[in-house]
Amino acid sequence: MYMPDFEYHTPRTLSEACALLAELGEKATVLAGGTDILHKMKVGKLAPEHLVSLKNLDEIREIRHEAGRGIVIGALTNHAAIYNSPLLQERYLSLPMAAHTMASTQICNLGTVGGNIVNGVPSADLPPILIALQATIRLVSASGERSMALEDFFCGAAETVIAPGELLTEITIPDQETTGSTYIKFGLRRSGALAVTGVAVSVCVEGDKLRDARIVLASAAPTVMRATAAEDFLRGRTISDEALAEAGTLAAAASRPRDSIRGSAEYRKNLAEVLTKRALRKAIDEGHV
Amino acid sequence: MSANYNVIGRSVPRIDGPEKVTGAAKYTGDLKFPNMLFGKILTSPHAHARIISIDTSEAEKLPGVKAVITHKDVPTLKYGLSPARWDENIFCSDKVRFVGDKVAAVACLDEDTCYKALKLIKVEFEELPAVLDFLHAMDEGQPLVHEEYERNINTEIHQEFGDVEKALAEAHHVRSDTFVGQRTYQSPIEPHSAISMWEGEKLTIYSSTQSPHYFQHYIAREFGMPMGDVRIIKPYLGGGFGGKLEPTGLEFAGAVLAKLTGRPVRTFYDRAEMFAHNRGRHAQHMEITTGVDKDGKILAVKANFIMDGGAYTSLGIASAYYAGALLPMTYEFDNYQFDMFRVYTNLPACGAQRGHGAPQPKYAFESHLDNVAADLGIDPMDIRIINARRPDTVTPNDFKVNSCKMRECLERARVISDWDEKKKNLPHGRGIGVATGSFVTGAGYPIYRTDLPHAAAFIKVHEDGTAATLYTGSVDLGQGSDTVLCQMAAEAMGYRYEQMKIVAADTEITPLDFGAYASRQTYMSGAAVKQAGEEVRKQVLDMASSMLNLPVDDLDCEDGIVFSKSREGKSLTFQEVARKHFVLKGPLLGKGAYTPPKLGGSFKGAAVGTSPAYSFGAQVGEVSIDKETGEITVVGIWDVHDCGKVINPRLLHGQVHGALYMGMGESVWEEVLFDDKGRIKNAELANYRVLTAMDMPPIQSEVVDSYEPSGPWGVKEIGEGATNPTLGMFSNAIFDAMGVRVNSLPLTYEKVWRALKEKREREAAEKA
Ligand SMILES: Cc1cc2nc3c(=O)[nH]c(=O)nc-3n(C[C@H](O)[C@H](O)[C@H](O)COP(=O)(O)OP(=O)(O)OC[C@H]3O[C@@H](n4cnc5c(N)ncnc54)[C@H](O)[C@@H]3O)c2cc1C
Repeated sequence: MYMPDFEYHTPRTLSEACALLAELGEKATVLAGGTDILHKMKVGKLAPEHLVSLKNLDEIREIRHEAGRGIVIGALTNHAAIYNSPLLQERYLSLPMAAHTMASTQICNLGTVGGNIVNGVPSADLPPILIALQATIRLVSASGERSMALEDFFCGAAETVIAPGELLTEITIPDQETTGSTYIKFGLRRSGALAVTGVAVSVCVEGDKLRDARIVLASAAPTVMRATAAEDFLRGRTISDEALAEAGTLAAAASRPRDSIRGSAEYRKNLAEVLTKRALRKAIDEGHV
Repeated sequence: MSANYNVIGRSVPRIDGPEKVTGAAKYTGDLKFPNMLFGKILTSPHAHARIISIDTSEAEKLPGVKAVITHKDVPTLKYGLSPARWDENIFCSDKVRFVGDKVAAVACLDEDTCYKALKLIKVEFEELPAVLDFLHAMDEGQPLVHEEYERNINTEIHQEFGDVEKALAEAHHVRSDTFVGQRTYQSPIEPHSAISMWEGEKLTIYSSTQSPHYFQHYIAREFGMPMGDVRIIKPYLGGGFGGKLEPTGLEFAGAVLAKLTGRPVRTFYDRAEMFAHNRGRHAQHMEITTGVDKDGKILAVKANFIMDGGAYTSLGIASAYYAGALLPMTYEFDNYQFDMFRVYTNLPACGAQRGHGAPQPKYAFESHLDNVAADLGIDPMDIRIINARRPDTVTPNDFKVNSCKMRECLERARVISDWDEKKKNLPHGRGIGVATGSFVTGAGYPIYRTDLPHAAAFIKVHEDGTAATLYTGSVDLGQGSDTVLCQMAAEAMGYRYEQMKIVAADTEITPLDFGAYASRQTYMSGAAVKQAGEEVRKQVLDMASSMLNLPVDDLDCEDGIVFSKSREGKSLTFQEVARKHFVLKGPLLGKGAYTPPKLGGSFKGAAVGTSPAYSFGAQVGEVSIDKETGEITVVGIWDVHDCGKVINPRLLHGQVHGALYMGMGESVWEEVLFDDKGRIKNAELANYRVLTAMDMPPIQSEVVDSYEPSGPWGVKEIGEGATNPTLGMFSNAIFDAMGVRVNSLPLTYEKVWRALKEKREREAAEKA
């Protein structure tokens, strides 16, 4: 397939990468695993003059626990590293399980969590569960850095708040009181399928009540979205099948899917409703799965 | 027929196994030649447009470009696969007929330069209205895809056998149903490629082809060359399933580019280009009417179909005839009417895909038969057993069936699937369905008219007798024919499989064979191989007779040992006898050829569907449906086949699994989708959903004891037959699970969900 010409850079450190990106400005595109970007270049949707590869930046490729902060995941961590991480498996199994629904082994060995986020599409599988787990992100550039809640990063179809010259360096899952979380992806085959619709939830169960819940929908609107009306409805409510079904109805009502090659808007709304109630039930009954 | 065989009937390891699993096997795209150039074809971005002008001057100036060609540089002779409708040109000259139609080609030093050069070719098009909906292609006022075909009709068929109207009038129950089948694409794992090169006037092409012979014939014809000057070599092949049967344009363009540049040229398709070249399954609209008596015995069937042919004929005339021809195979009835229009549209051309023509009509008929059974309150298994074809019968369209264990297949499937128990006790949302299928064991007639044999083989025993090489023009495309034919050769010779070598599919070295299509090779190539092997065996026995001083009749040869039948201990090794033969008489060679007998009736189209033998099979599948999402989980599939004598059980079951796998994909998951400009929306493997290993259910594949009297050792077909029941089986299992029928393929989760939702709404409205 056709691949446009470009200049290729491999900075050795984060600061070198930031300096280079500042210098090249809009002409440069960041390359992580390349599983999204190379495809776009091959089909002619993107023709950057410069590709700045992050492959040498081992400093943002690890998963660790930091006391007082939580679990910090380097943006270059690939999907396989996420699903193989004992730390994540033990604390929030839902995230490795979500990573395990993705693509194929080959893609999981290349594709990174940073790329999955910055690519910005609503069908990405990691942002929903990360948002459900209250993740924050850190953006670094030659002129400084900023942190924000992951959910504030997305602002439209394939649009994010990242500025030219900025790098996503890490994602933090703060220590939290949630008792359960899960991501249910509805794909059209058992492997190598993109989400027709996906729902991630986290819950905080107290006795027979839900103290709090987060519901995050994938492929249900132009961006990954929180179903806040459903969350508000559940907050403080006694757990029952009826309440979870109602939350599903509210989540579906708030969703704004479009007709796509993978399913009609009507079908996807239905999936949002069904998957929401199922995900809630699973997280309530089984914990972080 | 339980003769003792030494080599056939055993799951010997594949002869190509080690090379393939270690990655050492070289496919066409892996081959490199000194000075080789890369070639790519420029295709049309429009579904239907007039070509006003083509300007290649900028492309020619680009450094690294060695040649640029258009219709002006190539023969204008139209080609195709079905001789009755040769309608393709190497490059379009007046207009383009689908997105992907071929316009020009380049040869460059490297692949990247090709893409840059293609972008520099300026083609001025005048867009024309396009025919994208095949159901309206014949309407008054539609644009014509080919001016010479009125109302866009490519093929029209009207056949009637018996007296259909009378039988329907007398029937106890008559029912009609309409079903729609979708476009699918074969999606072989290996993309098409060809490497073309000339030595003087001789053209050699390494090609990923299912039929070196047809390639050789059509290429020689196109360039006005004697066939002897065209050499086609098939290296390892990564699947074809009907999509690599005909010239693709790669070899024509490559041959011209190679001639102009004096260098080898490798031309190839990427995945998206494969989808555009297509030649996959036709979309099809199918109306079926059946009349039955009160017991469910079928009295008459009427089939009225329309097929979306796409922009060219390919093998589509045969597909159109096959659609009706194979419908009366598995059930016996005397009155049958078949009407068909295959229409041109401005979409990629359709052709032969595994099960050629049969799977969709089978889907329609098997779904329809379950509806009929439901109307009469008959168990779907029973209605099939009542109607099952018997051996030594003739179909209404004059196909002679020898061996046939249709009924035994159904009865066995009933037992191993626990049909009766499940039919009674499965809860709502779980369902079980059955369907049958049958397929030709090779076509009775070649694709182009010729009296040449359909298959031939040589065997050369090496001078010291330690090996024998089988030379065959047949094509191993992954199904294992090289292995099976070596088993057959060894069996016939009385030799050992482990000492067999094979040279296959090189038109200069190997004898004629029509190749891998219509499930023909084990039977037809096998018949030629058996004859060649027997010729070797006879010479070995003659030689041994003089060496041992024993009469030939007293000698036999098995597993590499020649022995006396009457005197124990009197024996020689095949090896020493063969060596002696070489010393005294020269090379020890055997040869064989196979020509089918004259088959079929004399009505128009009577030849399509004829075959010396037919396979039969029954499939049962159990599904579980998620009522809230429509998601289908396949709980299990049971396949029972009558495929004659089994040469290699493991390869046979591999074929059943593979055919089922493709049938499953067509049933629920696969569909080629187009936008309103005729562009493919999913010419890739993310949204064209071939299934993964994770999706495969437990499969129980069994054969019934069977012997086909006309075949070598009693063999029949297996490679395609197991695709034919699958679509209907899924339809019926889903129907059983939900109580509603989805009338169009693929039976997607969303369609199933919608059907359930509409059913709930209907029931609610009725209550209110
Ligand atoms: C066959 C296939 C199957 C797939 N299946 C799935 C699936 O099931 N689920 C799913 O969610 N996705 C899937 N994808 C998409 C893709 O693999 C993922 O989105 C992946 O996580 C992208 O990561 P990457 O490192 O490859 O990103 P890249 O392609 O390298 O980059 C993607 C984008 O992010 C930017 N970027 C990357 N890293 C950074 C950073 N640290 N800072 C700033 N910008 C950055 C790049 O500039 C680019 O714009 C699939 C892709 C393929 C090819």
